[in-house]
Amino acid sequence: MRVLLTAALAVLVAASQGQAFERAGDRKILVFAGRQEVPTIDPSVKYDWSIRMAQQSLYDALVKYVGNPPEIVPWLAEKWESSPDAKTWTFHLVKTTRFHNGDPVTAEAVRFSFARTLKLNQGPAWTLAEFLKEDDIKVLNEHTIQFTLTQPYSPFLSWLPWWYVMNPKQVLANEQGGDLGQKWLTTNAAGSGPFKIKRWEQGVLYELEAIDGYWKGWPSKDHIGGIIYKIVRESAAQRAAVIRGEADIVEGLSSDDFDQVAKMPGIVVPNFPGMTTFGIKMNTQKGPTKDSNLRKAVCYAFDYDALIKIYNGHAVLQTSPFPNATRGYVPVSGIYRQDLAKAKEFLAKSTSPNGGVELEYVYVQGLEEERKMGLVLIDNLQKLNIAVKMVPLIWPNMVARGAKVETSPDMMAVFTTPLSSDPDAVAYQYHKGSFGKYYASSFYSNDAVWSLIDRARTIAKWEERAPIYADIQRRIAADAPEIFGMLANRRWAMRDHVKGFVFSPVRFTGEVDLYPLAIVAK
Amino acid sequence: MLFGLLCITFAISHVAPGDPARLAAGPDATASMVEKIRAEYGLDRPLPVQFGQYLRGVLSGDLGRSLRTRETVAADLARYFPNTFELVTGAMLLAVGLGVPLGILSAVYRDTWVDQLTRVVSVSGIAIPAFWAGLMLQLLLALHLGILPLGGRLGLMTAPPAPVTHLLVVDALLGGHWRVLGDALAHAVLPTVTLCFPALASIVRVNRAEMLETLKQDYIVNARAQGVSELRIVARYALRNAMIPTLAMIGLRYGWMLGGTVLVETVFDWPGIGLYAVASAVSSDFQPIMGVTLVIGLNFMLANFVVDLAYGWLDPRVRSSMSA
Repeated sequence: MRVLLTAALAVLVAASQGQAFERAGDRKILVFAGRQEVPTIDPSVKYDWSIRMAQQSLYDALVKYVGNPPEIVPWLAEKWESSPDAKTWTFHLVKTTRFHNGDPVTAEAVRFSFARTLKLNQGPAWTLAEFLKEDDIKVLNEHTIQFTLTQPYSPFLSWLPWWYVMNPKQVLANEQGGDLGQKWLTTNAAGSGPFKIKRWEQGVLYELEAIDGYWKGWPSKDHIGGIIYKIVRESAAQRAAVIRGEADIVEGLSSDDFDQVAKMPGIVVPNFPGMTTFGIKMNTQKGPTKDSNLRKAVCYAFDYDALIKIYNGHAVLQTSPFPNATRGYVPVSGIYRQDLAKAKEFLAKSTSPNGGVELEYVYVQGLEEERKMGLVLIDNLQKLNIAVKMVPLIWPNMVARGAKVETSPDMMAVFTTPLSSDPDAVAYQYHKGSFGKYYASSFYSNDAVWSLIDRARTIAKWEERAPIYADIQRRIAADAPEIFGMLANRRWAMRDHVKGFVFSPVRFTGEVDLYPLAIVAK
Repeated sequence: MLFGLLCITFAISHVAPGDPARLAAGPDATASMVEKIRAEYGLDRPLPVQFGQYLRGVLSGDLGRSLRTRETVAADLARYFPNTFELVTGAMLLAVGLGVPLGILSAVYRDTWVDQLTRVVSVSGIAIPAFWAGLMLQLLLALHLGILPLGGRLGLMTAPPAPVTHLLVVDALLGGHWRVLGDALAHAVLPTVTLCFPALASIVRVNRAEMLETLKQDYIVNARAQGVSELRIVARYALRNAMIPTLAMIGLRYGWMLGGTVLVETVFDWPGIGLYAVASAVSSDFQPIMGVTLVIGLNFMLANFVVDLAYGWLDPRVRSSMSA
């Protein structure tokens, strides 16, 4: 009887691990179980990983980031040129592009889309608003557009993958009270991307359908016929969904869960170093951490290997303030590693030579990895007679604390993903222009570094920019505004019939480029 | 009462240090972008002015707009509340349907195995946290046995029927969409059972205690002495009196469940107002929090009003005092 029962249970468990993808006619629909909602898909209004994954599927941009290291490839624009001073940029559009409703994608549509984003002053507007004014976007002919910047700006191209092109006719036809179509575009799309909306059940699921005659074509004959992005908020339920075959891809599992599902048959776990840095930002303008010697003592006391252990080995240590995949990255020689003798040496030079201070460590409430890092800090700094007070805060409160120098904590655990692969995207996080943003909670101040950042972004030739960024990395590291931590690997759990996954570290955590995905059922 | 509730919620929401405009604008937003959102949503005005405007809006049916979803709060609540209402009502019906008979059986068969078993159920219901029970049920019945869905309101390929009442089960019934109805009910089983369990336990305990007390009363002894059947004594004379405190507890519990579904909704991805409230709270999105508070408060009052009416039906003394 007992044997029979066990056998019956085994059959049931085996039967429960079925195929994942759904079918709609002859279309194979990929199921992605993600924790985050997609509150809006308006390309001018907001972005985060789930929003951008949807935007990238519904819209096209002039250029696109592809691969690892991230490369900018032509997309709506087949070619482009810039003036020698990097002030004027001219793009030539592919002539066969079509919006989903059949309208051609013209230079006027590009102009309208950029002007709309600048006018609304939300979402990606901050990346170019300082350099690009609406009147300086000129349509040269139906398929050529020119941007004249207010000053030379080399990273211009690196932001364009996130400036999506909308169909002006559809947007204006759905305008309500002069909102430039904001309300309509929250849950509707006016794009030319590889997918179109099929179902939009806010907070539940979002279904996209592949465009059969997508102007760019499809990279595989087995390309997915659509995708259902289903909200699964609980990590245990996400894990169960991929094991049971109710989802083809899940993101956001814990390190242990990823390791566990990676061993299961039928599941693969792509594992790549990302561009998201983890650092413990120290307030450089207030409190005990104002003293650079004390900051260096903290940096030398910290056990960096513990970071890797917390992620079960799926992380690499930072060797520069810049992530490894950033253009112009150089490893900084002598970057901080645990060395108690040096830590004590720097502490002796500080205003608290015998320690005896308490440092506040603020981290995201409920984020287990950050809590463990705090415990490591407590243990490490105890050796310097420095106490650590762990303060878990919910994200809004943390952001509020880090926005002002007076309230910014001594130490704050921060993950940061740069929006582009250009070094300016990371360097500018250390510029006074970033004060008030969560990743600038150290309020790092160094006039020489700031002027180098200002200068490097205006130089057109990479050969001239590169050494400046190498210098910037060394100078920032020398000032120790933070504990330069690690880059956690990006991981997803996928059923093994999902093919064509292309990783690019410039994408956000969890974000997948859905266009190249295919389902090859056994 | 609702005004007091709104005052307290508004005060608590605005004491928290988060900056909703910055969160809505995004982590990279410039100061001008943040200010634009602040002005657009009226967050740059003094707090009393903001509260005054909010109250005026509420009186005219405008509950404000969510910074997070960019929808009106009324539209969001219309989307999420019916799901919570269905879940809580289903769980409460199940809890009452099982809890009252179990309470009676437990009292009638006091100190027998029936009583012991019922007490195990009721103690477990109170002691086991709902989220843990939910995860365990999910693991066993959905993941391993595969006989019920893991979560969600409907299967991935099931399209909801055209909304009439916005209650999925009712709409599926009205439209004769039997496949949708079956799918909706299958998805409702695990969250309903999980949510029902603590309420069931409380109902069993209270009803058992009241039944035991009532069965000791002189008029029951008298009825027995007159040879009235035990079934009639229990069903007609004892239960009615024992139900009065149970009913009060059901009313309170129903109101509490409406506001306390968040864990169950999270585990089973049930798109209800609990999840909506939490997502709004972690985004410092005040107006949805106020809207949810208002809706829960109203429903709590409504549930207690219904309980008061039921008192009258159960207890002739209350009925006569009401009519007087």
